[in-house]
Amino acid sequence: MKLQQFLGGLENVGPVSTEKKVFVEEWEKQLFGVHMCMMGTGIWAWPHLRVKAEGMNPLDYFKYRYYIKWLGGMTAYLVERNYINEAELEELTEYYLDNPDAPLPEKGNPAVTDQVVDYMFTGDNPYRDVALNPEFKVGQLVRVLDPASAVHTRLIGYLRNKVGVVEEVYPKAILYTDSVPTDSISTPQPIYRVKFMTRDIWPERPDTDDALFSEVFETYLEAA
Amino acid sequence: MSDKDHGHHHHLRETESYYAARTKALESLFREKNLIGQDTVDRVINFFDTEMGPFNGAKVVARAWTDPAFKTRLLADCNAAIAELGIRDGIEGENLKAVESTASVHHIVTCTLCSCWPWPLLGLPPYWFKDPAFRARIVREPREVLKEFGVELTAGTKIEIWDSSAQIRFFVIPARPDGTEGWSEEKLAELISTEAMQGLDVVTVN
Repeated sequence: MKLQQFLGGLENVGPVSTEKKVFVEEWEKQLFGVHMCMMGTGIWAWPHLRVKAEGMNPLDYFKYRYYIKWLGGMTAYLVERNYINEAELEELTEYYLDNPDAPLPEKGNPAVTDQVVDYMFTGDNPYRDVALNPEFKVGQLVRVLDPASAVHTRLIGYLRNKVGVVEEVYPKAILYTDSVPTDSISTPQPIYRVKFMTRDIWPERPDTDDALFSEVFETYLEAA
Repeated sequence: MSDKDHGHHHHLRETESYYAARTKALESLFREKNLIGQDTVDRVINFFDTEMGPFNGAKVVARAWTDPAFKTRLLADCNAAIAELGIRDGIEGENLKAVESTASVHHIVTCTLCSCWPWPLLGLPPYWFKDPAFRARIVREPREVLKEFGVELTAGTKIEIWDSSAQIRFFVIPARPDGTEGWSEEKLAELISTEAMQGLDVVTVN
């Protein structure tokens, strides 16, 4: 099992952060800009980053700040795919450590900027116009399956083996991704809004009428 | 400092200056390889200061509070309703869903698997939302987490949590505070925090 796929419900992790800033260091903005460039020009997509996050040592996952993890994931991916090599990255890192005020090269492809801005407005809608024959209907009880852990999943760990009720069948099929290995969500399929009662997930907690909703891919469900 | 004092093996790898240099090296390589424009990073950051940010969400909530018909349309089709206000959707918001908190039901949004967040309405997620401890605890012990945010719900308030796992991005219309009758939308919008639009704050009048 991978801890990152089972984060919800984990106990004894201490107080939460209430930090309201999006970026806490200037370099994080620059890193995020490069990330959006990678998204907008098709170098990578969210699932590639998530594969890296889920593949981390879980102790490191807790240890490092959000964008520090991104930096590790982005550079590892870019090296693996030969967009850059580790030696040139190391060499330039040393150069900027020794010369923090040295300017960036006045080079680049000006067309990329508009492409990235267009991409941010267009997005990447996962809906696919394929025939939809949903297996479950509104009001039906469904149980979340408990498959083996995968390289990458959208199955929330604490929902495994839990029973909920279908509140909505989404009108179109969703394609999650076909670019990374997942546990069978790489084909367009129905998704369902399923309602779970918190008391059914964590019966040891004080009983309330609290509920929890999640959109679940059909492949993760069976009739209960 | 002599040359040997800042040789390649002397730099610590877990410092902010190291991360900053490595990020700068990354953009530098992207420029050398024509993978990025010189103004791409600035335009991306500017985009989230001007096009997609919590100012959009606050405008939507203020309209929903003052126009019940708009609120009905917003709850039925969030993307179509925000377009009425001239707000464009896009990345991380192709399929938005608004939910409404009331005196009896308080909605909270989280993403325990990563950091899914409704960008067109709220911009980029703040650090608290991305915090593994927050994501671990909010689903199981929401009232304790709310207390750490300085929020205490009225006894008997039911909590409904939205844990993002597919491609729907959730947005909370917080309850309108008493004492704001007759206020303009602009004045109402100023009351509404990013946190309130994900359920980690309640809107109050000072």
